[in-house]
Amino acid sequence: MNITAPNTVSLQSQPVRVGFIPLIDCAPFVVAHEKGFFCAQGVQVELSKEASWASIRDKVAFNLLDGAHMLASLPIAASLGIGTVKTSMESSFTVSHNGNAVTVSNALYQNLVKFSNDVQDIRSGAALKRFIASKKPTDPTLRFAIVYPYSSHNYQLRDWLAQAGIDPDKDVQIIVITPAQMMSYLKQNEIDGYCVGEPWNSLAVEQGVGHILVTGYDIWGSTPEKVFGVNSLWAAQNPDVYLAMIRALNRACEWVDDKQNQSELLSLLSQPDYLNCPAEQLIYGFNTLKPKGQFDWPLEAYQRFSGADINRPLPNYALWILAQMSRWQQLAKIPSLNQVVEQVYRQELYYQALGLVCPEGGSWKITKQQEKAFLAAVASGNVRLHPDGVLKGICF
Amino acid sequence: MSPPEKELTVMLVDNEPARAAIVEQAMLDSGYRVIRRLENAQNLTQAVTESQPDMVIIDIESPDRDMLENMSRLTKDNPRPIVMFAEEDDSKYVEAAIRAGVSAYVVDGVQSGSVKALLQVAIARFREFQALRLELDSVKTQLEDRKVIEKAKGLIMKHQVCDEPAAYQALRKLAMDRSQRMIDVARNVISVMELLGEKR
Repeated sequence: MNITAPNTVSLQSQPVRVGFIPLIDCAPFVVAHEKGFFCAQGVQVELSKEASWASIRDKVAFNLLDGAHMLASLPIAASLGIGTVKTSMESSFTVSHNGNAVTVSNALYQNLVKFSNDVQDIRSGAALKRFIASKKPTDPTLRFAIVYPYSSHNYQLRDWLAQAGIDPDKDVQIIVITPAQMMSYLKQNEIDGYCVGEPWNSLAVEQGVGHILVTGYDIWGSTPEKVFGVNSLWAAQNPDVYLAMIRALNRACEWVDDKQNQSELLSLLSQPDYLNCPAEQLIYGFNTLKPKGQFDWPLEAYQRFSGADINRPLPNYALWILAQMSRWQQLAKIPSLNQVVEQVYRQELYYQALGLVCPEGGSWKITKQQEKAFLAAVASGNVRLHPDGVLKGICF
Repeated sequence: MSPPEKELTVMLVDNEPARAAIVEQAMLDSGYRVIRRLENAQNLTQAVTESQPDMVIIDIESPDRDMLENMSRLTKDNPRPIVMFAEEDDSKYVEAAIRAGVSAYVVDGVQSGSVKALLQVAIARFREFQALRLELDSVKTQLEDRKVIEKAKGLIMKHQVCDEPAAYQALRKLAMDRSQRMIDVARNVISVMELLGEKR
């Protein structure tokens, strides 16, 4: 189904190999490919559907893929060598913001309601805290699922629990399950709740399997979710192709956010090569319309794909993620934060690709002396993201 | 190889039962103990906790790998991704494994020599299976192609009122004139004939 755009000059001899996970937010990659935006930029791309984040990481690290649809924290983890061999990966383009939520089983929800009939208490986790405190030592520990240890889902869930005074490592158990299996685990009471991207939260509500408590947006404000991450070696060797791909993805993101294209978008994504599911169930990823549950989903919580504030790399978010990694004991030793952020979240290439002037950068930097204090303050919950999200910065 | 290395216990996770059987046999032949074989990872976490294998071999295309990634983070006793052990100068075998579609998780303290030897066995069998599957696919395609060509021949025979060799010759000539493959010409013939058939 390749659409070749006319009058284009190919920039390379080998197609660029790009991996993706069949999730709603792989849309910009699918669209750039299917609508010929890559071709229009003179780039041949081979999309490859991958089964796990671990597989994406390994294949990019060992050059079986040049780049991929990645969790925003994945290039940071790979560049630091946590959970893997140390491989420099980087990103200069964010493909999406938001889309996550915390959903709990009907059984747990009933218990929460017993401990508070105040909506705020349920959303803030206060009711959960009271319920956990009331449990006998012999009662089974509550289990929550996330999709990957180095992910926004893990950090948002942990942050939400910690803010409610719940210790994510002692008071509950956190396990990993693939997104597509979340609902069946919840139905079978194998888990009591999860933090995952859409449509798995809305579908749980729609099918009467669970209740959405909070969205990722409620917890952190607008924050990057997935990025176009590449092997740094490949980026250095193919600068023109790389910049052309950023332009194509930028175009694709605009296309995805244009409501006029929605039915075409859903039918593209639902194809067997991509998400392989009914188009109707994908609508929740792109719509303000949420199934009727106990709570209204805040308008800004749904995924956003386009706009300079969405697509440019946000170094202060990388800093925030590093602080989360440190907070949850994922870092064996503390690296130079500024250096890691500069190497992994490369803002200048985003501006260069789109022919924009790169603004004076570096305002996000913290001094070497501040690092320890910063990490400690994040760990204790004293430093937060601005309620509007990372765009407004980190609040000291 | 020294006896202690032979004591390595392995768990296989593969949703391809035929391949899993081949790999398991090869492991047994090489003196390793396959303590558990899972076809799907519904209870992967529990199985690893119960069986405590030294090494888990899992299909790289399995969505359940991310589950293992998390386990390895929780306690030091759980198997950790093989890629963590890939030193700069010695990453070839890990790369070979990834290329062959094998991923592996190893507990701390297992000698890297034993890991490599065991991985070699798995890589070889995964490759062998891959080759077999490619061959099978190509045989299947050939059979399918033959059916299509037969059908086109039949249509030509009916339409032109000719015998089989003549129909075959007609197809062959068409293919040569247009420098197309027989199968492509046959498909064209079928679609054209069907179109004509509908109009008639």
